Amino acid sequence: MNTKDLIQLNNEKREQLTEENEKYYGDMLVYIRMNLNKSERYTEEVLLEMLEHLLQAQAEGKTARDVFGEDPKTYCQDIIEEIPSEKKTNRLPFILFIMMRLISIVGLTAGIVGFALYYFFDLGSGNISFPVVSGTLIVLIDLLLLGLFLFILSKWIKSSTFKEKQPKKWVEFLQLWLLCTLFISLTLIVLRFMPDFGSVFHISFPVFILFGAVLYIISFVMNKKMRLIS
Amino acid sequence: MSLRSQLLKGILEGCILSIIQQQPTYGYELSVKLQEFGLANVSEGSIYPILLRLQKENLIQGEMKQSDSGPKRKYYYLTNEGHEALEQFIHHWTTIKQPVDNIIGKGGKIR
Repeated sequence: MNTKDLIQLNNEKREQLTEENEKYYGDMLVYIRMNLNKSERYTEEVLLEMLEHLLQAQAEGKTARDVFGEDPKTYCQDIIEEIPSEKKTNRLPFILFIMMRLISIVGLTAGIVGFALYYFFDLGSGNISFPVVSGTLIVLIDLLLLGLFLFILSKWIKSSTFKEKQPKKWVEFLQLWLLCTLFISLTLIVLRFMPDFGSVFHISFPVFILFGAVLYIISFVMNKKMRLIS
Repeated sequence: MSLRSQLLKGILEGCILSIIQQQPTYGYELSVKLQEFGLANVSEGSIYPILLRLQKENLIQGEMKQSDSGPKRKYYYLTNEGHEALEQFIHHWTTIKQPVDNIIGKGGKIR
C-alpha cells in the first residue's frame, strides 16, 4: 500500500468519527503530519492505526480523551520523537519534482503571455533574454525562499492546533495574508534588484514554451510513476 | 524521565514483545490484551509510541494485512532480534521478580 492510499483511507474513515472525537483526532493528525522531515510512511501508518483504534473505542462508547489522555500535545510529541526521519533517497525525488513543476509553470506562463503580447499586440521584443548566471541565481534564491515559506507555513499550521478557544478567523486570515505577501514581495525584490550578469541567452517564445512543456511532462510522468502528490 | 516511569516502560515493552510473540497482533487488539491481563491503568494510546520505538530498534516489524473482520490492519511480528530481546527481558525479570517479592513479602525485613 502506497502512503497516498493510506492518506485516502484515513480521509474516508475519519468521517465515521463523532464531532468531538474528530476535533481531538484532527488536531493530532495535523500536529503529527506537519513534521516534514519525518518518514511519511511511518507517519501515515501510525496515524491510521490511531484512527482505527479510536473508531473501535468509539463503538464501545469511549472518547478520544479516554484513549489518548488529557494532554494530546505531549502525547503527539512522544509519537513524533519515535518516528524515524525520512531517508534522503525518499526526499530527493519529491524536491526534484517540485523544482521541475515550478520552473515549468513559470516558464509556460511567461512563454505564453510573452508570445501573445508580442504576436497579437506587438509588445515586447519577441524573445526572452536570459542572463545565464544571474538568471540561475534568481531561480535558486526563489526556490530557497519557497522552501523557507513552506517551513514557516508548516510551523504556523502546527501552532494552530490544540487550542481551547478557536482563534478569530480574521486574525488567522491576516497572519496568512502577511506571510504570503512577504513571500511574494521577497521574490519580486530579488527579481527586480538582481543585476544582470553572465552571458545573455536570447530564447524565442516557442522554444521557451516547449522547454516548459517538456519539463511539465517529465514532472507529470514522474508523479504518475512515483505518486509524489495525490 | 523518572526512574519509576523508566521501569514501567521497560516492563511494558517486555509485555508487548511477549504478546506479539504468541501471535501477530495489531494495535487495538494489543491494548485489549494488556487490559485483559490486568494492566488496566496503562492508557490505551501509550502503546503507539512504544510500538514505533520497537520498530525503530528493529525488534518488531509491521505488515499491512487483511484482517478476518474486513479492514486492512497493521499486524506486528517479532524479528529475530525481537526474540532475543524478549528472552533477555524474561531472564532479567525472573532474576529480579523473586528477590523483590521476598523483600516486599517480609515487609522489608531480612530473615
